[in-house]
Amino acid sequence: MRRVRALIGVATAAALTIGLAACNGGSNSAEDNRIDVWIGFTDYRLDWAKERAVEFVEKHPEYTVNVEGYDSYEVLFDALTAASQQGDPPTIVQNFEAATQESRDAVNADGERLFIPVEEAIDGRDEILGEPVVLNDIVDAARNYYTVDGQFSSMPWNTSTPVFYSNSTYLEEAGIEEPPATWEDLRDACDKIMKLDDGPKNCVSWPNHAWFPEQVLAEQGGLLADQSNGRDGRAENIDLTSPEWLSFIEYWQEMYDEGYYYYSGVQEDWDGPKNAFGGQEVAFLMTSSGDATAVVSEAEQVGFGVDVTRYPVFADAPYSGNLIGGATLWLVDGLGESTQDGALAFMQYLNNPENAADWHRTTGYIPITNSAVELLDEEGWYDENPYQRVATDQLALSDGSPAAAGVLLGSFVAIRAQVTQAVEDILTTGADPAERFAEAEASAQSLLDDYNLLYTE
Amino acid sequence: MTLYPQMLPLFLVTAAAGALIGRMVWRSAGLSGRAGALIVGPAGLLGPLLTMVPLESCTFEPGRDAMDYAVGTVAFFGGAGILITAVAWIGRALSMPGGLSGMDKSDQAGTYRNRPIVPWMLLVPSLVILAIFLYYPLLETLRLSTHLVRRGAPKEPFVCVDNYTALLGPSLEWWLLAAIGGLALTAAATWFSQRSDQDGLSDWPHRWRRMRGLFVILTVLAATASVFGSGYRPVFTTTLILTAGTVLIGLALGLGIAMLVSQPIRGRSIYRTLLIWPYAISPPIAGILFFVMFDPLTGIVGHVYETLTPWDMPNYRTDPTLARAVVIMASVWKTLGFTILFYIAGLQNVSTQMLEAAHMDGANAWQRFRHFILPSLTPITFFLIVTNVTYAFFQVFGTIAYLTRGGPSGATTDAMTSIIDQSRGNIGDGAAGSLVLFAMVLAVTAWQFRATGRRVHYGG
Repeated sequence: MRRVRALIGVATAAALTIGLAACNGGSNSAEDNRIDVWIGFTDYRLDWAKERAVEFVEKHPEYTVNVEGYDSYEVLFDALTAASQQGDPPTIVQNFEAATQESRDAVNADGERLFIPVEEAIDGRDEILGEPVVLNDIVDAARNYYTVDGQFSSMPWNTSTPVFYSNSTYLEEAGIEEPPATWEDLRDACDKIMKLDDGPKNCVSWPNHAWFPEQVLAEQGGLLADQSNGRDGRAENIDLTSPEWLSFIEYWQEMYDEGYYYYSGVQEDWDGPKNAFGGQEVAFLMTSSGDATAVVSEAEQVGFGVDVTRYPVFADAPYSGNLIGGATLWLVDGLGESTQDGALAFMQYLNNPENAADWHRTTGYIPITNSAVELLDEEGWYDENPYQRVATDQLALSDGSPAAAGVLLGSFVAIRAQVTQAVEDILTTGADPAERFAEAEASAQSLLDDYNLLYTE
Repeated sequence: MTLYPQMLPLFLVTAAAGALIGRMVWRSAGLSGRAGALIVGPAGLLGPLLTMVPLESCTFEPGRDAMDYAVGTVAFFGGAGILITAVAWIGRALSMPGGLSGMDKSDQAGTYRNRPIVPWMLLVPSLVILAIFLYYPLLETLRLSTHLVRRGAPKEPFVCVDNYTALLGPSLEWWLLAAIGGLALTAAATWFSQRSDQDGLSDWPHRWRRMRGLFVILTVLAATASVFGSGYRPVFTTTLILTAGTVLIGLALGLGIAMLVSQPIRGRSIYRTLLIWPYAISPPIAGILFFVMFDPLTGIVGHVYETLTPWDMPNYRTDPTLARAVVIMASVWKTLGFTILFYIAGLQNVSTQMLEAAHMDGANAWQRFRHFILPSLTPITFFLIVTNVTYAFFQVFGTIAYLTRGGPSGATTDAMTSIIDQSRGNIGDGAAGSLVLFAMVLAVTAWQFRATGRRVHYGG
């Protein structure tokens, strides 16, 4: 009996070793037409991408496409760094907009650039493996953000902008005719709604995420960093104490102190505010347009009306535009020609008009190409769902200036964490916005200095 | 390594200290003091190289500020201390008959009957694992703590001790002065009460000594806190509060429950099993459970509280005091099973004869508990303090990560959480932070063995 067990043990070990060796052998050869796609979703959006991958392989049976989902963009970026350091990166990676500078600077284990700009890889072709190239058709907002050094460094995919959601049932009860369009209107609306007898606990909520104050800065034409927001050259100085920036932080603090703003108490918490709105604990919500479909359908289930409108502005301030958020697909450099073409073709397929329109209908991310917008228009989608048009229209108002295009910044994720921490201190401990943000600016500056030291000669 | 002029007096000091220590140690072992001075003195001279060579003596470069100089001096003496201790310990053993077996205390010393090959071979697997998973990472952490490190970056520049000085920022605060003042007063009171109590009948010298001990601890804590800068000081206080809360409340509650379930009641084995259960749950799961229970919108705790009382439940995610309380609650709940288990075992060993005797002599329940049960449990208490402090330092992080993520406004950012936070920007900062935590653990362990060791009572 003992001998049998020992034999089984040895056999298992041998099988495992051979299995591992086989796995390793599989992913290392360059010219194998295998496309590994890593994306930062694990929900219905991952399923959507997997379905498109299956369809793509049906059209192009010589390729295999493996779509793998990660919990968040941050987790995905960590996994990417680890994989590329071990010399085994995937083929296509979905990196979020805040990691644009880091993706441009990323190097592989040999110290060479990790990603090749997609426009360079496409090299002027109109179609790849029969898939029409849609890069020239990308809507301006995404084009402005992701065009760096005169070309697209990555393939836009999921793009959103924050919009304003109002509980129209509360609006009616409070006798407010129009959803608030300015920050001043919002405060007045809150004055009325908080006086309702069966009103909500708080008036408005949005995630404590740096994206929201960044919007208000961009609206007023303010810059977050020098070198025209890092678009004329590498940004070296960060500015978190400009009057445009502090004006909204002070507004935020006042709204919190008056009991109007609901803070879930967790930084970068997207679910807390959304749940508060869905549970009618607040009357207004600001969150990504990428959640529009989900927010509106939840409201229908619960049984209250929703108005979706533009992100508010300050009444007497100039307007430059609102920022996009979301992520793009980056192509790893150094692939064999056939694998690279397959990856590029998959990127085009994912964004062809039908798929881009379907992606928009499924999620609420903006239709990424002009022809997708036209297609949706022809279908009468916007007549049925006028709220889905708000994000696209809002982004079309942008003047294309560096302020409205958004900042390119190294260590941006860590810098944003400094911002959310400062906001939390200002809200919960009553810290002075100007003083606290002077501190945050110093820590952010040292993060940026460290980053630039590591990535410049 | 470059030799800078400021380092010469430091070398003289360490060499002289080495010689003095060598002389003392050798003499106390009945050996020639001069030989000891000659052997250990050079260790004092060379020891600083242990830290100064890796640092390239950068802290003494011209143009460095006082903080760099101070950290450099600590590293300088640290290196000297390590080599002096090692040479004094091994050298003294070697210069006595019996050689290396003299390294242990005489009653614990032993020697090999045959050649020591077999024991070494048996030790090798453990040593290899320790080397790979403990010693190598420790050395690597030391190296990282002097570099600017980011995963995936093409460079890893050497930054001297910047990662350490970023944590520091000494300032003189009123609470430090208060602690020092209290220490001076109690020390003086102890001295006077001892002098006036020649016959040793009064209770006062004993009481004053206890007070003095308390103030020594307070002064050490206040002094440590005042060395840290505005960034790390709240982390240090939070760590202290969470640790003290977890250990003190956990032990008191654990002992209380253990006393209850040690009573002869029906079905106590079921209670015991159920009580020990939380111990089997991992810290992150405890964090998630409390996160859900205390959720401001849907949590059951808020619901019950608002049903039973007329007040609104504050949101622990925005209320710093409540946030700390909830973290302490979660970690007490988590460690309670372990504490109860050991106290039940300990209570079974308390001599019933002694308790009966006390009962006959008229000791009431409190007196029996205070003067018999508690002292009999000291070995268990000592063990539990050590394990629970370690838990509070290293494991509560798992709970915090899911319960509060260190918020609100850093109110629950303990040393571990801050290490993780800092490593996001620069892994070197995290490495420096973890070495500071390492030093804190060493200090606490040393204090525990000194303070509790004296009062631990193993019977026999």
